[in-house]
Amino acid sequence: MTPPDRWPPGHHCGVAISVDLDGESVDLGRAPRANLWGRFSHGRYGLRVGVYRLLEIFREHAIPATFFVPAWDAEQSPGLVEAILAAGHEIAAHGYVHEDHSRLEEAERDTLERAHRTLLKLTGRAPAGWRAPGGRLSPRTLGYLTDLGYRYDSSFRDDDLPHELECGGGPRILEIPQFPFLTDTLFYEVFRPPADVRRMWLEELEAIYDEGLLYSLKLHPRGDTGSGRALRAAVVEDVCRAVRRRPGTWIATHADIAAWWRSSGEAANRG
Amino acid sequence: MRARTGPRPEWPDGARCVVFLSVDLDGVALERGEGVEPLGINSYGVYAYRCGVPRYLRLFARHGLRVTFFVPGYDGEVAPEVIRAIAGEGHEIAAHGYCHESGYLEGAPERALLQRTHDILAGLTGQPPVGWRNPGGMKSRFTTQYLRALGYLYDSSDKDFEQPYRFEPAGPAPGPMIELPTNSAMLDDGHLNPIAMLAPSQILELWKEEFAATYAGSGYFALILHGRAWWGSGTPSRARVLDELIRYIDAHPGVRYVRGVDLARFCLGSSATATAEARDTWLYREPGGR
Repeated sequence: MTPPDRWPPGHHCGVAISVDLDGESVDLGRAPRANLWGRFSHGRYGLRVGVYRLLEIFREHAIPATFFVPAWDAEQSPGLVEAILAAGHEIAAHGYVHEDHSRLEEAERDTLERAHRTLLKLTGRAPAGWRAPGGRLSPRTLGYLTDLGYRYDSSFRDDDLPHELECGGGPRILEIPQFPFLTDTLFYEVFRPPADVRRMWLEELEAIYDEGLLYSLKLHPRGDTGSGRALRAAVVEDVCRAVRRRPGTWIATHADIAAWWRSSGEAANRG
Repeated sequence: MRARTGPRPEWPDGARCVVFLSVDLDGVALERGEGVEPLGINSYGVYAYRCGVPRYLRLFARHGLRVTFFVPGYDGEVAPEVIRAIAGEGHEIAAHGYCHESGYLEGAPERALLQRTHDILAGLTGQPPVGWRNPGGMKSRFTTQYLRALGYLYDSSDKDFEQPYRFEPAGPAPGPMIELPTNSAMLDDGHLNPIAMLAPSQILELWKEEFAATYAGSGYFALILHGRAWWGSGTPSRARVLDELIRYIDAHPGVRYVRGVDLARFCLGSSATATAEARDTWLYREPGGR
């Protein structure tokens, strides 16, 4: 059923694992900087503990991941940025301070450029991809992104596979979609047990794998709604193991998936 | 399991149980109706057009089933090829608001929107819709009067009974209509959305149990599905649940799948169809008596 050239030779299912590195930038939307204590310190937990736990799992199971990083968080933790890059992962853009881009109006372009410049300076390369903080973008966002040279966006919930999106008549951008049932946040917001999350993510893997589609798993390192705590990270590890155990999974960064799709996958699927 | 629902209605071909599967398409009309751009976190409706509907069509074709799609008029305007593809497979296209209005409209604005969606869907398929379901679970006391005047045979909005019943809306075009009632417990969105977030295997288990209870009881199994991702059943894992549920249902003797229009026509012509009065006095009747 899977078209033969949908994924690179020898592979029949794509796997994209991403981490939204929502650190204190998220808490800053809820409390002033001087008050990031108590329940406004879950983001700091993610930057100090959670993300290193996820990095360790990715290393053990040889998972190349994509980290969507609010630029402000990157500025506060340059050592973390280095650690992510040194492990061979991709760093992509995710707002400056995790802004709601549907409400920025005329400040949107500057915000995108500021985040872009900051990541370029810290990582030495221009980010290839962007994900809307909170999933919210304006009708102008995609056009600004292509102006800045972005090759993909990962904000939509509109398809089982990557696909090209119109950007107001300009060059198209590649979309790598993702869904809330393959994200930790909504489960842990309502304190669902990690075992329930494992069940959901493994059942999703089975169905998506059988159809040869894209398994797009989105994680957060935060201590409240993320997967950074030990019991929750164990779910991530089980899923990584299950992905590795299945033959023919192509586990790749979003940038590599976007490059592949642009060169071959889109044509194969239009075929 | 013992039936606790009083007399069993009569079903087409002497069937023991009817299965009324329907898909509320709910594409981007839902977001447009709320004034929201279908971008990013608000793009689930696009999934209905691109993946959800095509997967449903493959699944229903595999099982040889024809079902009912309730379609907002706006979705018909922005994705006409999707609606034509559905109709082309023999599925029924019924109406589901213009922009999925889930508020209380009354009078001229309501009538105008019903007419608008009616014309859009009739223009797309060449056949005027004869069924309607309220978007977001709300309708006014005038809705069925307007629908009757437009020639509709049935409404499938109310949750007030567990088998179809005949009623006569007042107003300018009196005459009988059929209510095909549903229940929120048999909506896929309740089980998939953030309220419950059940795993696919849990949903399958639940729906099998629901079917078994209905099969033993009223024999009227109405399941509402959605086209969009997340709380719809058109994604890979949830379509598999539906596939397995259909296999489970098929293992029961005397099951008949019906589209809304088929069931409404049958009920209009059957003297065994409950009346609105019977619905209102049901609790006072002896089980087993008609």
